[in-house]
Amino acid sequence: MNENMFPLSRDELLQVYQTMRTIREFEERVHVEFSRGDIPGFVHLYAGEEASAAGIMTHLRQHDHIASTHRGHGHCIAKGVDVKGMMAEIFGKKSGVCGGKGGSMHIADLDKGMMGANGILGAGAPLACGAALAAKFRDNGDIAISFVGDGASNQGTFLESLNLASIWNLPVVFVVENNGYAESTSVDWAVACDSYVDRASGFGMPGVTVDGTDFFAVYEAAGEIIRRAREGGGPSLLECKMIRFFGHFEGDAQTYRASGEVDDIRANQDCLKSFSKTVTASGVLSQADLEACDTEVLSLIEEAVSSAKAAELPTEADLLTDVYVNY
Amino acid sequence: MSINPSAISVGIVANPVSARDIRRVIANATSLQVSDRANIVMRVLAAMRACGVQRVLMMPENGGIRSLLKRALQREQGLGENSFPELEMTNTQISGTVADTFAATKAMLDSGVKAIVVLGGDGTHRAVVKICEQVPITGISTGTNNAFPEHREPTITGLAVGMVATGRIPEGVAFAPNKLLRVDINGGERSDIALVDIVVSTERYIGARALWRTENLRELFVTFSDPEVIGMSAIAGLLKPIGRNDSGGLYVSLAVPEQAKTVLQVPIAPGLIRTVGVQSWQQLEAGIPVILKQSSGMIALDGERELEFGPEDTVQVTLHEKAFRTVNVGACMRYTGEHRLLVGATLDIPIS
Repeated sequence: MNENMFPLSRDELLQVYQTMRTIREFEERVHVEFSRGDIPGFVHLYAGEEASAAGIMTHLRQHDHIASTHRGHGHCIAKGVDVKGMMAEIFGKKSGVCGGKGGSMHIADLDKGMMGANGILGAGAPLACGAALAAKFRDNGDIAISFVGDGASNQGTFLESLNLASIWNLPVVFVVENNGYAESTSVDWAVACDSYVDRASGFGMPGVTVDGTDFFAVYEAAGEIIRRAREGGGPSLLECKMIRFFGHFEGDAQTYRASGEVDDIRANQDCLKSFSKTVTASGVLSQADLEACDTEVLSLIEEAVSSAKAAELPTEADLLTDVYVNY
Repeated sequence: MSINPSAISVGIVANPVSARDIRRVIANATSLQVSDRANIVMRVLAAMRACGVQRVLMMPENGGIRSLLKRALQREQGLGENSFPELEMTNTQISGTVADTFAATKAMLDSGVKAIVVLGGDGTHRAVVKICEQVPITGISTGTNNAFPEHREPTITGLAVGMVATGRIPEGVAFAPNKLLRVDINGGERSDIALVDIVVSTERYIGARALWRTENLRELFVTFSDPEVIGMSAIAGLLKPIGRNDSGGLYVSLAVPEQAKTVLQVPIAPGLIRTVGVQSWQQLEAGIPVILKQSSGMIALDGERELEFGPEDTVQVTLHEKAFRTVNVGACMRYTGEHRLLVGATLDIPIS
């Protein structure tokens, strides 16, 4: 690679592609499996939003903490949670990362710094503040990220967390993944403050808006924001403007979307396509490199589904385990 | 003075999303709130109405300016005030992208506006200039670096535009000609313009758009170089100042600071002074294309990465003079003062 073409090495770029492709194939497959009725509970899919998870998590260390949302699969994969364990969890099996008792909306893996997807909107923000406060007291340079959607950004917990993070100068980053709809309600209608940067300013912290479908835009902005938090510069807010390929939940008829909207965004705003175009145009990665990665990912997802289906369900004896924790 | 109401209309393009990029974090750039932008528009509207402008066409957007304006105008009406022009949105689509600016500017042209007031940064002004042809524009800075729009109280900008739109200022005083840079890739396969500067960097991705890693910069073209502005053109401004109205621009060859003949400290963003390596600089003559030396990389237009190019591409940059017109606010207000155009208890304004 010649002089400073990209902020990442060839191997790192390939890793980014692999992460985004894994999220995409994971979600596309869950979409299919859910429609067959094999998955209990609800699932909310992250397909189309991969550039945000990958662009942010590429800067994180294992012990940095993230608090995710109900749409958490992408965050988990990008943070390094085991893909097979995740699939088993979604199928409600004992081999899942939470013993099959959490399901899609409660996947957590504390060893990976993943504090959990969360079925309660806005509930992740105070958790991220707690993790950031611990990192600050331990003075270990760790940071925490709170992911929130445009809808949940109106919750009191989120707004109180912005205030707390600011007055305590916590090493925390608030990422608003603005996909335009709170379930079916347009952000233009539901968010009183028209700019998330304005909202951040109101709490005394900087805010940045980026194109959340462009990996490099997210990567650059997140890099500067995360470095700032690690070095004692305090909290920031990052708004990633993005789109989701699927409905709010699987089964959502999406009557609030314009006709042809999904086809258009899949054709013209696909973060994987734009990433592939950028890295292959410069010659840093070849189409063959990407295709080899695709094959590997598809095989991983296939294994994850077949092993999840074959795994055992939790038993009655498992019902009362993991309820209390000894400190 | 009798005024034909149908003739006196002005356009306003107000970008709700300028000043939102990474420079809020890497520099201490301003975060001008949406409510402040609406407030600026109110000041401009009031000043233009005082001069007799009766109709204003505005770009519709969903970023909040329109709804705040609607509320503010309703409140004024509730107070019995009638000191604002009729505000009408152009009948154009809202996509939340630069396409909105193109469409609205075109609609304003078709409607015969006398001038267009632009609220935004250099990028917003550039988008309007692409469409506005000979209709004069005037800028109000609500972006980050803002080398192009002059910095002044918007009420004064509104007064100057109002005086121009109502025909009180002679054409020779009212307008100033402006330069621009045109970049052509492979003889026009891809083309674009810049109002202030074009920078070539080694990067091959657009990313967060703004430029701040000065070690990656290789070439710089400017239409004018003002040592009182910040941003990429400040590099040229600190080497050889060239005015907006002077003939020619400047071409600067850049390098990694450790390998450069000259090293400069440059304010490239608000509060951000960076080391820049300079190899050489020379006058840029109008109409004579310059071929890029850098074989591949990214072309930034007015400070934002826009066009990627590779070794297979031929890229040339040409300076054009008298390319578009701006309202010369300073000259208009001097003329207004010298000729006592605002003397009197009230202006002869038809009340709608």
